[in-house]
Amino acid sequence: MEPPTASRADRIYQALLRLFPFDFRQDYQAEMEEVFREQRTHAEKNKMGLLRLWWETITGIFRTAPHEHLSILRQDTRFALRTLAKNPGYALVAVLTLALGIAVSSAIVSVVAAVLLRPLPYQNDSQLVVLHQVTSKASDGDVAFSVPEIKDYRSQTQSFSSLVEYHSMRFTLYSKDDATRVRAGVVSPGFFGMFGVKPVLGRDLTDADDQTGAPAVLLLSYEYWKQHCAGDPNIIGRTFQMNDRVHTVVGVLPPVPQYPDENDVYMPTSACPFRSAARANRDVHMMQMFGRLKFGQTPDNVRSDLGVVAARLVHDHPKSYPPEFGFTATSGLLRDELTNHARVTLWVLLAAAACLLLIACANVANLTLARMSARERELTVRTALGAGKGRLLRQLATESLIIGLAAAALGVWLASQSLHLLAAFTAGLTPRAREIHMDSTVLLVALAIAIGTSIFFGSVSALHSREDIGGGMKDGAPHTTAGRRRSRTRSLLVVCQVALSLVLLIGAGLLLRSLLKLQEVDPGFVPDRVLAMRMDLNWSKYPRRQQIRELGSRVLERIQSQPGVLSAAISSSYPLDPDNALGEGKNDFQIEGRPLRSGESPRIANSRAATPDYFKTLGIRLTQGRNFDASDNDKAPPVVVINQSMARRYWGNQSPIGCRITFDNAQTWHKIIGVVGDVHEFGPQLPAGYEAYFPYAQYPSLSAVLVRTDRDPMLIAIQLRQTIRDVDAQTAIANVKTLEQARQDAIASPRVLANLLGIFAALALTIAAAGVGGMLALAVNQRWHEIGVRITLGAKPRDVAGLIVRQGMTLVAAGLALGVLAAAALTRMMRSLLFEVRPLDAPTFAGVSLAVTAVALLACYLPARRALGIDPLLALRRE
Amino acid sequence: MHPDKNLESLTLTPAMFQVLLALGEEEKHGYAILKDVEDQTGGEVRLSTGTLYAIIKRLLSEGAIKECRNRPPADEDDQRRRYYRLTPVGRELAVAEAERMERLVATAREKHLLRRLHTA
Repeated sequence: MEPPTASRADRIYQALLRLFPFDFRQDYQAEMEEVFREQRTHAEKNKMGLLRLWWETITGIFRTAPHEHLSILRQDTRFALRTLAKNPGYALVAVLTLALGIAVSSAIVSVVAAVLLRPLPYQNDSQLVVLHQVTSKASDGDVAFSVPEIKDYRSQTQSFSSLVEYHSMRFTLYSKDDATRVRAGVVSPGFFGMFGVKPVLGRDLTDADDQTGAPAVLLLSYEYWKQHCAGDPNIIGRTFQMNDRVHTVVGVLPPVPQYPDENDVYMPTSACPFRSAARANRDVHMMQMFGRLKFGQTPDNVRSDLGVVAARLVHDHPKSYPPEFGFTATSGLLRDELTNHARVTLWVLLAAAACLLLIACANVANLTLARMSARERELTVRTALGAGKGRLLRQLATESLIIGLAAAALGVWLASQSLHLLAAFTAGLTPRAREIHMDSTVLLVALAIAIGTSIFFGSVSALHSREDIGGGMKDGAPHTTAGRRRSRTRSLLVVCQVALSLVLLIGAGLLLRSLLKLQEVDPGFVPDRVLAMRMDLNWSKYPRRQQIRELGSRVLERIQSQPGVLSAAISSSYPLDPDNALGEGKNDFQIEGRPLRSGESPRIANSRAATPDYFKTLGIRLTQGRNFDASDNDKAPPVVVINQSMARRYWGNQSPIGCRITFDNAQTWHKIIGVVGDVHEFGPQLPAGYEAYFPYAQYPSLSAVLVRTDRDPMLIAIQLRQTIRDVDAQTAIANVKTLEQARQDAIASPRVLANLLGIFAALALTIAAAGVGGMLALAVNQRWHEIGVRITLGAKPRDVAGLIVRQGMTLVAAGLALGVLAAAALTRMMRSLLFEVRPLDAPTFAGVSLAVTAVALLACYLPARRALGIDPLLALRRE
Repeated sequence: MHPDKNLESLTLTPAMFQVLLALGEEEKHGYAILKDVEDQTGGEVRLSTGTLYAIIKRLLSEGAIKECRNRPPADEDDQRRRYYRLTPVGRELAVAEAERMERLVATAREKHLLRRLHTA
């Protein structure tokens, strides 16, 4: 290597010296260059000497420069801490404001990352799909799969390397003196293998387990094994009595999130009595299907593959797939389907959190700017004493960073404390909620937010001090150019804060109005003091309908004789029944003498069996005809009660009483004897469907018990449970809940979302109001002299107050205008979260704008009052 | 802050000690210090400019050396140079370090790690 020529050597050395901090260079650069030149002159006599000099110089600089930076950082940190300690109010407000912003945003980033961004915890999750059969017969268009259909898709599709089935059942696990309901996932062999899940103990389910007549086996979920079997390592081989069979544990699953539902145990398909009974029936749809795509298959390939098979099914089985039902099959990525309901909500929350963070940042930037005005003299004096501008800026940046880091630490702590609440809320929207946790990514995000915001508000203040420093020995900063510019920036920040808080408030306002509308919906029943509970019989003990009928009568008799019980009923399901979330009793029916015309959409109704007191217990109104009574028994002609929507839809203004309908292709005709009011069965946000009620005596199905009481229903829940156990100890009781609670739960998600956004908006408004007030207070301070002169010249208090309020409200008006525009653009993404409220709901926009104006006026009031109190003589003297 | 307060906390590295030694007799400018350090260590310690000025900054801030106002006669002077000299504090520091080394050497001799000096 040739040593560099003299002038080039100088330039290289100068470039290397840039590695040292600014101050160090300012003190020593010239001298160091001179010494290096002398060293070079002496070393040039021999080439090796020169090379050695360069080597030593370069390594020396690389060794010492970082130390110099560190030592300055230490000094700056000490200095910054001292300065902040002198003004603890500023430090506290800044840290708290930013911490709030960081807490909210890092908590929501954790949720979004876990639910929407991270891949599913399964092998190659982009190949996992959910299959759907679509028909106009179902209210949401989706029907489950029957056993023959599963066989057809397995044998006829080309795009899947594996297709598995799943359904969830409630089974009862019997011990000596107790019966516990367990959630059982019923899966085909290879189900876990397809997801890449291997048992931690024992083995997976195999084809042999799925053969008819094979010994009954169980796989336990990790959670069930830990909680109910104390994590017993010798669990393999233990037996459980379930319904009529003894099941042997063959394996324990690892602690992976369970999809699509969380179950306690898993069993092979052959072990499910309901599936076995419907093995050959194409029309009993109860299973879900999942598949793994073959390598290289695109979603389009898969859709057309499934479409071809569905078309073949329609062609081969016209009775099961009548052409008017528009039957077809399709698929969606498992990853997307699991988070469909959560996506919009989470993006809205993330946007809200970002708004809040920006408002917090703007507020701290504003505080910092105000503080810069107050520190102008100090900075000028320090410049005069020889502190370099770079040095001062560096110190200011260190102060910002310290505030940012303290806020990040506090924010992350707050976020970690509140994350479980957010996770509980998200659990209502997606099964992926259990993957939510604080991890290093989120910590990094919080740190990045902290550093980013520190740079933001630090640089805003730094930029505005750069030219000030050294130029502001005289008081009255607003008179200087930089002072004016700073004041403009503060105004701009206030406008942004007002605009952002308006956006948040409008979002919260829309959700709140939507929630109120949901609460106003008449559910069609009277939920007060009604207790509902699910009963699961040991079916193997009651093979005949007559036995169930008799058991039902015994249970009902005993319950009705309990003190506090006003009325009681037994039914197959009830409104807001968690086990009937899909409306499983949906069936198509025909009306006597009115065959379906071509092109007419199929007639579908939910069917339910209930005892005569069902309507009385739930407070459902009878509008026409009569209710069931004891005469509608199994020997009497079949009857049915329908709801008003169904009567209006199919009979219009005519009375349906006396007409006959059939649900089983004219094998049984049911005479309509009454019409009852509509009930929002699946929550207030969903319209009432068409309902058909059958007498329990004709269709005994003992699933739910409903009791209206004259006292708090939960007080007699234990006693009712015991009453049922007394009739049959092997009955598992579950979902014990008041209907009022069920009704609250049905709107829990919109309520929590409205509350969350409401809290964000309230915080935002408080911060923004403080911003407006703070800015005006400073303005009054700076215009002290001018106001004094105005008062001396005869300005009335009203004029003075008007001056200040006008200054504040001009900014607020600009913020409102900007906010309304932004909200109009953003609230569109909330459309799917709103119930009977349009995203551009004028009352909400107007009401919220008025509220913000009122709060802003209040924020202007205090500084204006202070301005009124200015003593003109003192003000003039102060100048 | 009085420089003495920091003296106890100041850890003297071998290179810093060499700089103090180089300034022991008279005031010197940067290049002269480098040369002196090299000479007094027989070429074993060669300070780079970066290391030297980091040491000078530290010693200045600790009050162990100071910049001299007296400059050489105009014909020998170079305005770009700065001259440094030892302060009483720096001298005290250098003496303390030298004594510490002397004690170390004495201990080494007692332990027969070094040959005893033959004094007349």
